[in-house]
Amino acid sequence: MTAGWLLAGASAALVTAGALAWRWARASVAATLAACGAAAAAALWTLTGAGTWDWQPGLALGGQPIHLQLDPMSAFFLALLATVGGAGSWFARGYWSDRERGSSAARGRLWWAAFLLSVGWLLLTRNGLHFLLGWELLAITAYFLITLDRRDPEARAAGWLYLAASHTATLSLFLFFAALASRTGTWELGPVRDPAVAPLFWLALIGFGIKGAVWPGHVWLPSAHASAPSHVSALLSGVAIKIGMYGLFRFSEWLPLPAQAGWVVLGLGLASGVLGVAFALAQHDLKRLLAYHSVENIGIILIGLGFAILARQYGQPAWGNLVLAGGLLHVWNHGLFKSLLFLGAGSVHHATGTRIMSQLGGLWRSMPWTASFFALGAMAIAGLPPLNGFVSEILIYVGLFDAFASGHPAYAAVGSAVLLGLTGALALACFSKVVGVVFLGAPRTAAAAHAHEAGPEQRTAMAVLAGLCVIIGLLPAGAWPLVAMVAAQWQGQPVQNTPLLLTYLGSLHLALGCAGVAAAALLMARLRRVGVRRAPTWDCGYAAPQATMQYTAGSYAATMTGWFRWILRPQRHGEPVHGIFAQPTRVTEHTGETVMQLAVEPLARAVLLLGDLARRMQHGRVQAYVLYILVGVAFIAALALHGGAP
Amino acid sequence: MIAWAEPVASTLLRAIAWIALAPLVPGIIHRTKAWIAGRRGPPILQLYYDLARLWRKEVVWSSVASPMHLLGPAVAWVAVLGAALLVPTDAAHAGLDLPGSAILFVYLLALARFGTAAAAMDTGSAFEGMGAAREVSYAVLSEVALVTGLLALSVHGGSASLAHMFDASGGVGSALLAGGLFVVLLAENCRVPFDDPNTHLELTMVHEVMVLDHSGPPLAVILHGASLKLAIFSVLLVKAVVPLGQHSPLVAVAVLGAAAAGVGVGVGIAESLMARLAFRRVPLLLTTAFLLNLFALLVEVEGGRLR
Repeated sequence: MTAGWLLAGASAALVTAGALAWRWARASVAATLAACGAAAAAALWTLTGAGTWDWQPGLALGGQPIHLQLDPMSAFFLALLATVGGAGSWFARGYWSDRERGSSAARGRLWWAAFLLSVGWLLLTRNGLHFLLGWELLAITAYFLITLDRRDPEARAAGWLYLAASHTATLSLFLFFAALASRTGTWELGPVRDPAVAPLFWLALIGFGIKGAVWPGHVWLPSAHASAPSHVSALLSGVAIKIGMYGLFRFSEWLPLPAQAGWVVLGLGLASGVLGVAFALAQHDLKRLLAYHSVENIGIILIGLGFAILARQYGQPAWGNLVLAGGLLHVWNHGLFKSLLFLGAGSVHHATGTRIMSQLGGLWRSMPWTASFFALGAMAIAGLPPLNGFVSEILIYVGLFDAFASGHPAYAAVGSAVLLGLTGALALACFSKVVGVVFLGAPRTAAAAHAHEAGPEQRTAMAVLAGLCVIIGLLPAGAWPLVAMVAAQWQGQPVQNTPLLLTYLGSLHLALGCAGVAAAALLMARLRRVGVRRAPTWDCGYAAPQATMQYTAGSYAATMTGWFRWILRPQRHGEPVHGIFAQPTRVTEHTGETVMQLAVEPLARAVLLLGDLARRMQHGRVQAYVLYILVGVAFIAALALHGGAP
Repeated sequence: MIAWAEPVASTLLRAIAWIALAPLVPGIIHRTKAWIAGRRGPPILQLYYDLARLWRKEVVWSSVASPMHLLGPAVAWVAVLGAALLVPTDAAHAGLDLPGSAILFVYLLALARFGTAAAAMDTGSAFEGMGAAREVSYAVLSEVALVTGLLALSVHGGSASLAHMFDASGGVGSALLAGGLFVVLLAENCRVPFDDPNTHLELTMVHEVMVLDHSGPPLAVILHGASLKLAIFSVLLVKAVVPLGQHSPLVAVAVLGAAAAGVGVGVGIAESLMARLAFRRVPLLLTTAFLLNLFALLVEVEGGRLR
């Protein structure tokens, strides 16, 4: 019951936060933080074994009885929502302040609280209609958060695209829930045994896949993540797309699945993983790059889910335990380090006014805290030990080996491991590029040279998220019981106790961390001893080095993007230099969104064309309208005569 | 006696052995190259002298360098040493028996790469940026080849732990692996034909150009880390190919040492006989290594089915 009171308190605090958003900024943020704290406490309460909280007050909403339930699966995602929601709202105090942004900051607080409330509702409700209500509220509040800066045409366009994509997803989910309700006879959600509902999973996959930015349903994501304010990007990437994952985990738990479900989810995961990072490498805009990495990490999560489904379908769920736990833990991990990176990118944008990486550089000097947090997040997302990203990735790798050893999907497991390795290496290349180009070296523009450190609120928010990344990295065995509880719920049977792997890994990570610090301290002491002299960078004897001569983000990734030209389809404008005594020239290269250009835009054009054709029928000539009626009546009559009325 | 004292002591002992013996491998390579070219060449202990000299030298630091210039080498060295400790050095699995330690091994090497690449980008030099870009790009392919090779070994050994992977079969799979892993060794350690450690033209360098601005103790750490990595890959190659399991520990360690030195000689011969590849050809060779390891993997998977 404690969980119930905590959740009630959280909702009340969020409503208060929304009500106070306009006049009492400080109180509003405090209420949001209190709500996040209460929700996190309720979630942890459930995850540490307090049991499921179930509430049916006998009230109705839209003709359906209200039924809320906090089980481990919901609690798992609720904890992430509370963490990112709290960190983001505190970050916004410095980043999207009333002083700089005026009424937009107040609107931001209002929609933030509304977003948290609708996602919380979505996670807890056990009624299909109420789920759809929450889903729609999520789409709308997120739209208003993306377009907080109403004067920015890019943000408006991104919001519009997001709204369109969201509603495509909603359409699919509406069909899904309606068909489910008509088959089971109730809108109540819960485990279903009837094998006839299995094909409905495809509808859920489309709806949740678009929301979850699974390739190729990710088309809305790059522009939305890039143009939204950064705390909103963090919320979108850390939480909103995870709601898509929640849907997939939830309904693969509850519903019988079609036979190919595991393979399709796995295939989508692999495609998202490799193509997400390939597109990320080709980006010039820091936040677009981070957005494509969300696609990559969603892919890693889906690899875990795909193999878990396969294991269950082969009737041997045991070897799916580790991949499932790895996929679930990656939901948390990605939520933490991606929010951290977006907040870091937001601080950079706030300090320099640009998101173009090749106009930055040398920021560590003016923003050492942001640079350190961002570098930590970059190492975490590249899956490097001793941080949290590696913990979930090694769980998936070892789980893949279990899958291989089971003998069933042997080649799929081996192939997935190789592609996961490829993804990891590309992500490392991408983030060494970001850290190197944005934070190290010399400033490439005046804006980068005159950057300022992020404010105390921004730094605290980043520090909290960075701290959580480190804690999960150093104490993976501590995270296991929480994840195992969710995995056990999904499997319908208990999973093993803390695997030896995680116990060992924790101590190895700790040893690695200590050794790293010791080695750095030793080297530092040695440097003090021998003395350090400063001199210009050695540029092979060139006498007048300039900051613009540094390697750019584009040239750093050129070799790798070359391997993916077939799908990146970069567009080059301008003429390269020719001959000796070349004239000055200007060349730009830009990688568009291939799925958007090749699939979505032609489709949209076709729909518009059809719409235009249909409009020709409406021209105001009454004679023709009478003809339409006549044809219509004749058609119905023919149908009634021949259609074989019951 | 306390339960953890013994493994800690043995780990420390092996760390010291790795640290002390690693600089021999480049010495052996240089010696071989000199012998083939008919020169007298540097003494086999040359790297030890260089390291001692660098450790005492004053540091000249680029004016744009950040603390990453020091952190990068330190982290990279620790990561490579950690990877070394995961590799079992005798027949009894003395390595840490962590399930999935093969993955940890690969990612520790990735951590080292992140450290060196970040330290290179730190100076704002176009050349060092170029070197870092090449390093991480080629590493994508060589890491995929390495993962495939380790998968073949783990399929054979029935475990994803490095401690149990190495009872080499000596069959077709081992021959394929030997080829694939040797190419990975050359690529990961920036040897000919991927990179020429002796070149003096910055435009053509990979690893050497990344350390242009390092000097004094940090450079010593980088050079030692590079030799450690070379030693790891030599030992890995030997353990993957030579069946050492049936011998007594002493014999096994002796054979391992001799064979690792033999790998050094092999690298020296390869460097003497080949020129550096054109850069656009490098991916081809690495893809070949990947294919060799992939075929080794197929041999193991299908062979396992037949057994």
